[in-house]
Amino acid sequence: MTAQFLLAGHDTGDGRLLTPDALARIAADVAARPELWRPLLDTRATVRTYASLHREPDLEVWAIAWLPDNDTGWHDHEASSGAVRVVDGALEEHVLRIGGADRRSVYGAGGTFTFGPDHIHRVTCAEGRAVSIQVYSPALWRLGQYTVDEDGVLHRVTISYADELRPLDARAVAAG
Amino acid sequence: MTTDVHQHLWPPQFVAALRLRRRAPRLDGWTLHLPGEPPWELDPRDHDVAARAALAAADGDERVLVAPSAALGLDRLPTAEAEELAGAWLDGALALPPPFRAWAGGGSLDAGALSVALDAGAVGLEVAADALAAPDGLDRLAPLLDTLAARGAAVLVHPGPAGRAAAEGRPRWWAPVVAYVSQLHAAWWAWIAGGRARWPRLPVCFAALAGLAPLHAERHRARGGDPLPSDPLTFVETSSYGERAIDAIGRVLGIDVICHGSDRPYAAPRLPDLGEAARHALRVRNPARLLAGTSQEAPA
Repeated sequence: MTAQFLLAGHDTGDGRLLTPDALARIAADVAARPELWRPLLDTRATVRTYASLHREPDLEVWAIAWLPDNDTGWHDHEASSGAVRVVDGALEEHVLRIGGADRRSVYGAGGTFTFGPDHIHRVTCAEGRAVSIQVYSPALWRLGQYTVDEDGVLHRVTISYADELRPLDARAVAAG
Repeated sequence: MTTDVHQHLWPPQFVAALRLRRRAPRLDGWTLHLPGEPPWELDPRDHDVAARAALAAADGDERVLVAPSAALGLDRLPTAEAEELAGAWLDGALALPPPFRAWAGGGSLDAGALSVALDAGAVGLEVAADALAAPDGLDRLAPLLDTLAARGAAVLVHPGPAGRAAAEGRPRWWAPVVAYVSQLHAAWWAWIAGGRARWPRLPVCFAALAGLAPLHAERHRARGGDPLPSDPLTFVETSSYGERAIDAIGRVLGIDVICHGSDRPYAAPRLPDLGEAARHALRVRNPARLLAGTSQEAPA
C-alpha cells in the first residue's frame, strides 16, 4: 500500500499530526479496501496477528485480527491519537475510571472509536474473530502499560509498540 | 539467531598485509598509522580471534558480522594496493570460525571479485559513507551495488577516514562524534535522494543510526522534500548509541529497521531498555531481514 493512496483526499498538512476525526476517515477508507489487507491476515492463527499497512513518522495504519479471548490490558499511546474501525466481529473498549466501574462500549462491524493522547483504555475482543483497522498519528512508538497492585495502586510501565503490537510469539506480518 | 551486525576484527592475513606496507595506512607492530592522523596503538587482544569469539559468546551473540573498517581509507589507495588488501581481508575474514561472518571491503574490489566473495560466504559489502555521499558516489559504486542487488546481498555504510578532521589537536572522540556522524548524515540523505529509487530492493544498513540523519525528516519536508514513506530495506544499526538516540530514531523510522550493532572493539554492546519484543526485533528479527538474501536462515 502506498502513502499516496492513504493520503489521497485527506488533509494531512505538511508533516502535521492528524486529528482523531481525520484518522477515523482514513480508517474508513482503508476498511473499504479489504483487498489491501485481508490477504495479509491469517484467519487460522492461534494468536492475535497484525499487518503493518503503512508507517511514516506522522501516520501509521495497521490491520489486526483478534481472537475471542484477546485483551490488550490497560494502556495509553503516549503522544499518539488513534482511531479503531471494526470490520468483523466486535470489540469492547473499556475506559478507566478512578473510583468507579470501567465505562464500556461495544463496537460491531462498521463501528469506530477514536481517542487522543490523553486516553487510557483497554480493548477486548467481544464477538468472534474480530478484525480492525487501526490508525495512529504520530506513529506509535512508546506505550504506557498499566497494572493495579493488591493495594489498588496504579503502576505504569513504558514499553515500545513492538511489545504491544507484536508479542514475541506473534506472527507479525510485514506488508513490505 | 541473535546477531551483532557491526564489529571489527582483523584476521592474521589482514594484519600481515597491513604490516607489509611501507606507506600509511600501515601497521608497525600494533601501531596503526593513518594518513593525516596521529599514530594509534591497537590492543592485540582486540584482534585475537579466540578472545573475541569468547566475548561474542558472553554477549549472547550467535552471529557477529565483522568489517575491516572503511575508516582506514583503503578504498582510495592505488588500485593494485587496494585490491591486494581487499583480498587479504577476504582470505582472513572468510576463514574466521563461527560466530563470525564477514562483510567484504578493506580496499577495493570490482564486481567480479565481489561476486566471488559473496559465493565464498561474504554477507555483503562495507562501503565508505563519504564515498557514497560524494556527488558522483552512487555512479561510482553502481557496478558493486548492481551486483549486491542482483544477489540480494546487503550494504553496510560505514564512516570513511576522518583524515585531517581528526588531527590538529582535536580530542580522540572528535572523529567518531563529529567527523563520522557528519559523513553518515550526508550518506543517508544521498541514499534518500538518489539511491533507493535506483536500487529498490537493495538492503542497506547505515552504521551508528546513520549519524541521526533521519531526525532531520521534518526539516527535509519543510524545505520542499517529499514525504518519506517507510522503507523496510533501509536499516540503521545502533553502535555506541543508547536509549535516547535509539528512541528518537525509532519515532521516525519505527522498530523494524533498527539493528543491533556494537562497533566492538571501539565500543561495548548495549541494548536499549525498550522491552523484550523490541530487543528481539533489534537483535534477531531485523538482522535476519537485512541478511535474508545471503542467509539460509528463515527470517525470524
